[in-house]
Amino acid sequence: MKDRTAICGVGASRQGRVEGSTSISLAVEAFKKALDDCGLAKAEIDGLLTMPGTTSPEGAKHYLHLGEVLGINPRYTGSKFLGGGTAGALVQEAALVVASGMANYVACVFGDAAKTGNSRFAGSYGWGDSWGIWGMFSAAANSAVSASRHMALYGTTSRHLAEVAVACRYHASLNPDAVMREPFTIEDHQKSRWIVEPLRLLDCCLISDGGVCLIVTTAERARDLAKPVVPIMGMGQAHTTQMLEHPDWWYVPHQKDAVEAAYKMAGVGPKDIDVAQLYDNFSMSILLWLEHAGFCERGEAGPFVEGGRVRLGGELPINTAGGNLSESYMEGWLHIVEGVRQMRGECGPRQVKDAELCLVTGRGMTLNCSNALVLRRN
Amino acid sequence: MSDYRKPLPELTAENRPFWEACRHGRLSMQKCRACGHIRYPISIVCPECLSEQTDWIDLSGKGEVLSRLVFHQVYHKAFAADVPYNVVLVQLDEGPRMFSNVVGVPNEAVQVGMRVAVTFDPVTPDVTIPRFRLAGER
Repeated sequence: MKDRTAICGVGASRQGRVEGSTSISLAVEAFKKALDDCGLAKAEIDGLLTMPGTTSPEGAKHYLHLGEVLGINPRYTGSKFLGGGTAGALVQEAALVVASGMANYVACVFGDAAKTGNSRFAGSYGWGDSWGIWGMFSAAANSAVSASRHMALYGTTSRHLAEVAVACRYHASLNPDAVMREPFTIEDHQKSRWIVEPLRLLDCCLISDGGVCLIVTTAERARDLAKPVVPIMGMGQAHTTQMLEHPDWWYVPHQKDAVEAAYKMAGVGPKDIDVAQLYDNFSMSILLWLEHAGFCERGEAGPFVEGGRVRLGGELPINTAGGNLSESYMEGWLHIVEGVRQMRGECGPRQVKDAELCLVTGRGMTLNCSNALVLRRN
Repeated sequence: MSDYRKPLPELTAENRPFWEACRHGRLSMQKCRACGHIRYPISIVCPECLSEQTDWIDLSGKGEVLSRLVFHQVYHKAFAADVPYNVVLVQLDEGPRMFSNVVGVPNEAVQVGMRVAVTFDPVTPDVTIPRFRLAGER
């Protein structure tokens, strides 16, 4: 599969607070932008894969509604929900579909009016007896489980979390499309209020309205389109459905398997990666990804991020558009958009010079789902 | 009628032995009769070997804090008067893990690695919630 497929078109709707928007209207806006980006006509899109937003009443039938609105009768379609692990998983499914010839141009689409629709991500988990019985609520709490234990075992600190949050915000300050562009310091982070200890407000992602579309085709077909080809060099997934039953669930060990699968297909390793878009529902998740992707050893991510190593100009710039923490909370969809743009060299002041390989990761649900893509400059 | 407004288990044939045991001051979980695995959460089959043959066994109720959170954000309005409150992930000595709370001490006194022992908190006539105390204190 190495280099056989490519992401040929990317599009994002307006982000942040978009008054009067719906998950469908935002998805449509993004879809049109992606067509404009690559120069494809709507009639050429013969695959439609979607992720229902938290404000999509259609649930698993989201593809039907969006397909009808877009006027597409596809050869291949469906909806998937793996939380923040969906975008990468759909791109990978699309790659398998176009490589097999079941469809030629697959549009992967997401839209969510989470901001104006007041989505709260405050639920409790646990099949059967809910963890809410003990007051265990929210997505933040899941990442706090990881952070608390990582801190206790390895001496990781809240200031380490601040380092990555500060870097993401700095990158967002260079991105005109980012929702939160005002830079902050480690001290600002340390003064922000607790949400779920050991996570503070500035460790948490935004809640945003927005839509994103990614169009996948074969590398061969991509050559005839408007933008430089960005081949999918490697891809992988791994998931842990077991939570309390898994002794290491807090560490999301499957993420390592997902990245290693992507490296293996691409024939590369962590030393080859020039820029990384690492899924950041919370700052803690970036520390874990740095370890899982082999940029440092287990337990060493805290010291690794000190001194601006993951900032632009540092050894390994991450989340160059600002990520979920500062660009917009598009559940990782914009991480892939930014990966593509970095490989095309379209990023202006936030472009990583001479970057040839980009790692993009996604993770979702209750520390359950993960995926990784290795993209390259052609 | 109870005025307890926090989430409660919905008692079913599947989970009733767990909650009945709690009501009688025992922490009880399912042990697979085929492979011996003690499982939690409660399930219809053993996740190791898929056997349906199960015995409910009493655990020691002792364990260790694996992870420790303190909630400041109110995610459920019934907890508004409780913040800041702690939630811990407990590693039980017999193998299973569960979320719970450490009671009887300030949040600051609860740290990862501490030994804990189960205690029982009757919140309604039907439901007694298993929580933990730092081990050694009574």
